[in-house]
Amino acid sequence: MAFNYDNYLRVEKMPTLWCWGCGDGIILKSFIRAVEKIGWEKDDVCIVSGIGCSGRFSSYVDFNTVHTTHGRTIAFATGIKLANPDKHVVCVAGDGDGLAIGGNHTIHGCRRNIDMTMILINNFIYGLTNSQTSPTTPQGMWTVSQKAGNIDPTFDACELAIAAGASFVGRETVNSPKKMEKIMLQAMEHKGFSFLDIQSNCHINLGRKNKMQSAMQNLDWIDSITVSKKKYDAMSPEEQLNLFPTGILKQDTEVREYCDMYEDIKKVQQGERKPITQDEFAKKI
Amino acid sequence: MIENISLKILKIKGETMAAMTAPENTPVWVNTARCKACDICVDACPAGVLSMQQEPTSTLGAMISVIAPDSCIGCNECELSCPDFAIYVATKKEFKFAKLTDSSKSRQEAIENNGYRLPEDYKEAN
Repeated sequence: MAFNYDNYLRVEKMPTLWCWGCGDGIILKSFIRAVEKIGWEKDDVCIVSGIGCSGRFSSYVDFNTVHTTHGRTIAFATGIKLANPDKHVVCVAGDGDGLAIGGNHTIHGCRRNIDMTMILINNFIYGLTNSQTSPTTPQGMWTVSQKAGNIDPTFDACELAIAAGASFVGRETVNSPKKMEKIMLQAMEHKGFSFLDIQSNCHINLGRKNKMQSAMQNLDWIDSITVSKKKYDAMSPEEQLNLFPTGILKQDTEVREYCDMYEDIKKVQQGERKPITQDEFAKKI
Repeated sequence: MIENISLKILKIKGETMAAMTAPENTPVWVNTARCKACDICVDACPAGVLSMQQEPTSTLGAMISVIAPDSCIGCNECELSCPDFAIYVATKKEFKFAKLTDSSKSRQEAIENNGYRLPEDYKEAN
C-alpha cells in the first residue's frame, strides 16, 4: 500500500488550486506524513492559516481548520491554544503573511513561547497578488512593485525568530521532502513555540522575469542558496554571506511554556495560591 | 437524515482509500485527474521510468506517463516530491523492483536533456 494521503485530505477539493509545480503541495504532503508518524487524531489538530497561497493549506486538510484574516494566524492560534491546551495547533503563514503584515504577531508569538508550530512557507515573493516585493525578496530581483530591481534588504526569518525567543527554530527546503518531514516531526514534538522556515518555489511569479520560468530552475536556485548547518558552520564569514543554513538552528527545552504558566494565573484567580512574584523567574529583567 | 449523510461521506472516503492499493504488477501509477504536468517527478526519477508525453486536452499540453515500469527501483522520490498527490509507488512487498542500471541512467539523461520528454528516435543501449 502506498501512503494514503486521501485519508487526511478533503478529496472533493482536489486537484489543488496551486499552480503546477508549486512547493506548497510538497509541504502539505510532508506535513501529512509527519502527522501520521506522530499519531495525532484528526480531531485533536487545528490548522490556522492566513491569506495568500499558503492560506489554501487549511482548505485541503481534513483537520479542524481556520482560514483567518491577513497576518493574524498567530493571534487566532494563541486564543485557540489557550482555550484548548490539550489540543495541537499548527499555524501556516506565507512570507508576506507572517513577516510583513503579521510580523508583529509572529515576534510576540515567539516571545511568549506558547506551544504551537508555525510553518512559514517562504517563496520570496507575494505570489497570490502577482509578484510584489515581500520582506524576503532577494535584493536586485525584478518585482512588479520594484521594476528597476528590488533595493530592500532581505529578512532572515530564522534569525528573527531566534532573536524574538522562539524555543525551536529550523529551516528546510522543498528540495528535500524527507528532511522536511523529519524537522516537522521534531517541531511538533517540541513543547514550546516552534518556528519553521520552509523555502518554497514560485516559478510563476518570482521566476518569470528572474530567469527561473520552470519549477526545476527555481528549485535548483533554492538548492544553490541553501547549505546544511554543519557545512555552514565550517565556512568563513565571506562564504556564508549569500547562503542560508538548513536544519535545526535552535532548540531550547528549558524555557517554560506559556500554557503551563497560565495555569498559575488561573490558580491565583481561584484563590488556590498567592500572586506570582519576580522570585519565581530565573531571568528577572 | 444526518446518519444517512455521514454514511454517504464514509462511503465516498472508503472508495478513494481503496483506490490507493497498488494495482497488480504495477510499481508506479498516476492519478491523471490530479497531475498538472510540472516535470518535478520526471526530474526526481534516477532511472528514466517517467516521461512527459503530448496531451492536447491537458492545460500545459503534456501529461505524465510511465514509460519503463520495469526499470523502477522503488526509491519513492517521485511520490515524495509530487506537489499534487498524483503519483504513487508500490511497496517492496507488492512489487519486485529492479536495480539501477547504466541503460536506465542514460535513458534518464536523454529525457532530461530533451525537455523531460523521451526523444522520439531514442534507442535502448544494452
